Amino acid sequence: MNLQLTLAARYLAGRKLRTFLTTLAIVFGVVILFGMNIIMPSMLQALEANMKAAAGVVDFSVTSVSGEAFDPAVAARLADIEEISALAPAYVRTFNLPMDFFDEDPATLDRVTAIQLVGVDPEAVQTLRAFPLMGGRFLEAGDLGQTVISQSLADALQVRLGDTFWLPTVDGLTPLTVVGVLPARTLPGNEEVLVTLAEAQRMAGQPGRITTIDLNVAVDATDQEAREALAAEIQNAVGENYQVGALTSGADVFAALEMGQAILSMFGIMALFMGGFIIHNTFRTVLMERQHDIGMLRAVGASRRTILGMFLAEGLIQGVLGTVVGLALGYVFGVGMLKVAAAPISAFINIQLKDPVVEPGIVLLSIFLGIGITVAAGILPALRASRISPLEALRPTAAAASFETNRGRGFWVGVALVALSVAMLFFGQEAMIAAGGFVFLVGLTFLAPALVRPITDMFGVLLGRLYAREGTGEVARGNMLRQPARVATTASAAMIGLAVLVGVGAVLSSMSGTVFTMLRSNLGSDYLMVPPSIGLWANNVGASEGLVDELAAIEGVGPVASTRFAASATEGIAISLLGIDPTLFPQVSGLGFQEGDESAYGELGRGRAMIVNGAFIMATGAELGDTLELATPDGVQRYTIVAVAADFLNAKVTTAFISQANMAADFGRAEDVLIQLNLDEGVDPEALDPQIREVMQAYPQFNTIAGYAYLDQMLALFETAWSAMYFLLAFLAVPSLIAMLNTLAISVIERTREIGMLRAVGATQRQVKRMVTAEALLLAGIGTGMGLLSGLYLGYSWVVAMEAFFPLEYSFPLAGLIAGLATGLLFGALAGLIPARQAARMDVVAALRYE
Amino acid sequence: MNILETKNLTKIYGKGDTAIAALDGINLHAAEGEFVAVMGPSGCGKSTLLHLLGGLDHPTSGKVIINGQDVAEMTDDALTELRRREMGFVFQFFNLLPVLSAVENAALPVMLDGVKAEEAKAKATEWLTRFGLAERLANRPDQLSGGQQQRVAVARALVSEPKLVLADEPTGNLDTRSGDEIAGLLRDVGQKYGRTVVMVTHDPRIAAYADRIIFLKDGRVIDETVLEQKNGKNAEMVAERMTKLAN
Repeated sequence: MNLQLTLAARYLAGRKLRTFLTTLAIVFGVVILFGMNIIMPSMLQALEANMKAAAGVVDFSVTSVSGEAFDPAVAARLADIEEISALAPAYVRTFNLPMDFFDEDPATLDRVTAIQLVGVDPEAVQTLRAFPLMGGRFLEAGDLGQTVISQSLADALQVRLGDTFWLPTVDGLTPLTVVGVLPARTLPGNEEVLVTLAEAQRMAGQPGRITTIDLNVAVDATDQEAREALAAEIQNAVGENYQVGALTSGADVFAALEMGQAILSMFGIMALFMGGFIIHNTFRTVLMERQHDIGMLRAVGASRRTILGMFLAEGLIQGVLGTVVGLALGYVFGVGMLKVAAAPISAFINIQLKDPVVEPGIVLLSIFLGIGITVAAGILPALRASRISPLEALRPTAAAASFETNRGRGFWVGVALVALSVAMLFFGQEAMIAAGGFVFLVGLTFLAPALVRPITDMFGVLLGRLYAREGTGEVARGNMLRQPARVATTASAAMIGLAVLVGVGAVLSSMSGTVFTMLRSNLGSDYLMVPPSIGLWANNVGASEGLVDELAAIEGVGPVASTRFAASATEGIAISLLGIDPTLFPQVSGLGFQEGDESAYGELGRGRAMIVNGAFIMATGAELGDTLELATPDGVQRYTIVAVAADFLNAKVTTAFISQANMAADFGRAEDVLIQLNLDEGVDPEALDPQIREVMQAYPQFNTIAGYAYLDQMLALFETAWSAMYFLLAFLAVPSLIAMLNTLAISVIERTREIGMLRAVGATQRQVKRMVTAEALLLAGIGTGMGLLSGLYLGYSWVVAMEAFFPLEYSFPLAGLIAGLATGLLFGALAGLIPARQAARMDVVAALRYE
Repeated sequence: MNILETKNLTKIYGKGDTAIAALDGINLHAAEGEFVAVMGPSGCGKSTLLHLLGGLDHPTSGKVIINGQDVAEMTDDALTELRRREMGFVFQFFNLLPVLSAVENAALPVMLDGVKAEEAKAKATEWLTRFGLAERLANRPDQLSGGQQQRVAVARALVSEPKLVLADEPTGNLDTRSGDEIAGLLRDVGQKYGRTVVMVTHDPRIAAYADRIIFLKDGRVIDETVLEQKNGKNAEMVAERMTKLAN
């Protein structure tokens, strides 16, 4: 092995605890980055598998660019293409099922949470696909209420040939009799319920519409060029409103998942940067500790390059070690999380999670960042090491002290950056404000060494009181000040963790206020009929207009407003359209307006107008008053933005609200997915409740909730989500603990002789312990002070930045501050435990001889 | 032939009124195979002289010529190479790397020179065996006595077959017996192996092992004594002379 690597490896092995602690920081970052990035792609793949399975085994499928159902007449455009050997229209749609629909047992996980309704033309589809029946018959033209399902679905539903089961549809529960059974399903994805085209259209409330035209072609499957040419020809024939290939439904789910993945990746990268700080800090100390060794090496002929290489090799070894362990633990973490999260996730977006997915890209990124950051953290100390004079070898050892003033170039760079970040707050541009948070953190890192003294002085007064008459507080304070640069680096690592904690705390406390207001206006109606999946709409089965009419007909029921869903796209960006009644909707619900006001509802009814949310503005870059082309099943339609507003359920997904009349005309959708109603004044709610529930009984896909019960339910959900967030954030603060523990352990080792001297001149074990503990608390105090300060800035800048797509009002994060302060000081006390014991138990004679 | 020569070697610390001349126009030389001891009271400039001879520090004026090359004119890389190939160092505090074994420590300069590890260790083993450490090759510094550690350091100084060995108070951290062992070893380095040794020491007993003693005072050479017997027996004479010169 190369000399540098040998030396690096030996030095690392010689200080096992320190190597363990510093490497742990890298392991931690890689675990988060890698582990989180296994979870999300696994969800994406499960979703993709669903969609691919839905696309089936046909050669090509033609779907609408909008993602909506369309007129089957399009098939006629394909008549002239000779290579098409078979063609069949189909109506395919995923139906989310309400919880416990089939097994009626809330205690056990549902066997079936969603099904794929596949409406086919019985004759045509058999020219495309083979259906090897195990029993019964296949569908016949004119079948209504008959279905063919797989053996595995039959087992799950506990039905046999000839039995009938019920599915929730837009016209209430629809009975389906099993007339044929296919072999058990081996493909991933949802089970198919095969029915005739007419039946599927009836069940989904879209008569005369199809979602796909499946084609088989007489072209060699391996001849890629010919296939591409044919795909182009088909595309040409159907026109630009249609696309050849994959299905587009589910785009909203993809977008939401990808956003989640981006946020979690940020956490991982931040954790890695903290790891970088820790490694950097360790190297600085190592440098001091090995001054003699390096001087000797230089004296006996080691070049500067050799020394540089030795330090970098040490970083490399730690980086590789940390990354490899991180990848392994990350995988275990990812798999574990997938197992734990399987149930809640499948309930929310209806996918079955299978094996974890590891993308080569994320492995490479983890390796690159894990090793890269470690090596990069070592570069400055390594350069400094290479400049050590051989004369150092001849000087006697002593723990160095540098009471420098710290008003160098770094200080002024820090001042400039902090000033810049404050200025950025006043620019009013979201991107600028968000970037300001980062600039502030970096600026504070530069300022840190100069801040050590004032903050130490401040906390030192407290400690002096605490340890009055012992003098240990004073010694501890002095020890902090002798290495301000090192203390600053440690404090910076602690700062980042706590800053994020406080920052997110600010966002959460601002949100909780806002969300509550929004929930009241948005979901504050007397009754709510909500679909099984509240976050993502496309797969929910709604109801036809009959239900709203029935509800409205009940005496004592006031305005009934529904929300409908249609998929669309503009400039290639998938968007969710929500159809509302411009008159009824404001009476029972409401949007939070950011631009424009309630008069916009009226405009929805006149011409093609839409109210869009902040996410829409962010995604498309459009502005109030702009007119955009939305993809519809029959070509594009131009819609004008009349207001920017958000509702609670669609805050994050690219959403536009249009009138239900326009939705029916342009998108062919008239299915109510969410229904809200108010009771007339003076009516006894308890008397009406049985009547409302009786009507709803035929529509089990809706969860019928009375008034504020839903609010409570939602708030409880939010609280759970937020405590989970805090937990995740506390996780992020763990590297701060490692950083402090590391610095303290190092400074105890470095001062072995001093501690021996203190003991020799009469300091008791208890006093030495107290001194180190006081140092730990001081260190934590500095990190916490800086963390809270930057956390406040971060929180404010995030809230301001988020206001762009979510109506928020800044609220002071008292809870976050307390959590940050508690975490910081607790970690400080924890970090002091081991080094304090170590210092107190030191053998005095050995310590005095220590070199 | 002179391996080492200095011409008007001067080192001044500080500027203006606070300037102190640590070395003031030193002219000395050491021949091949010669063992020279440099003595003098604390602060006389012994260590500064040794640093300049080893190219560890730069003179204010004057020259250090080693093996015909002027050290002052060399780049850092060239100096590093010179130290690696032409010089060996022995320090007061041994300065062994705590993470390497005895043989690895001794092999360090040749390993740094790019020689294969096996070959380098074979060379180091040879020297350590000569110094009676054949049984201690795999021990780390903390498993060796002070005397043994310093013998490893001497082996390290010789492993690259340098022309010149510089020793800075090599016995300063050792007991009397170990000190004598090391001094004898350094004498052998000159006599048996033909290397030039320049040793700084304040201990007359140790200096008495040398061929020649140079006395420094206030940065100047004030006396030179050639010793007939080189076994430490002249220690008393050296001590007397030093006391006289110091006053």
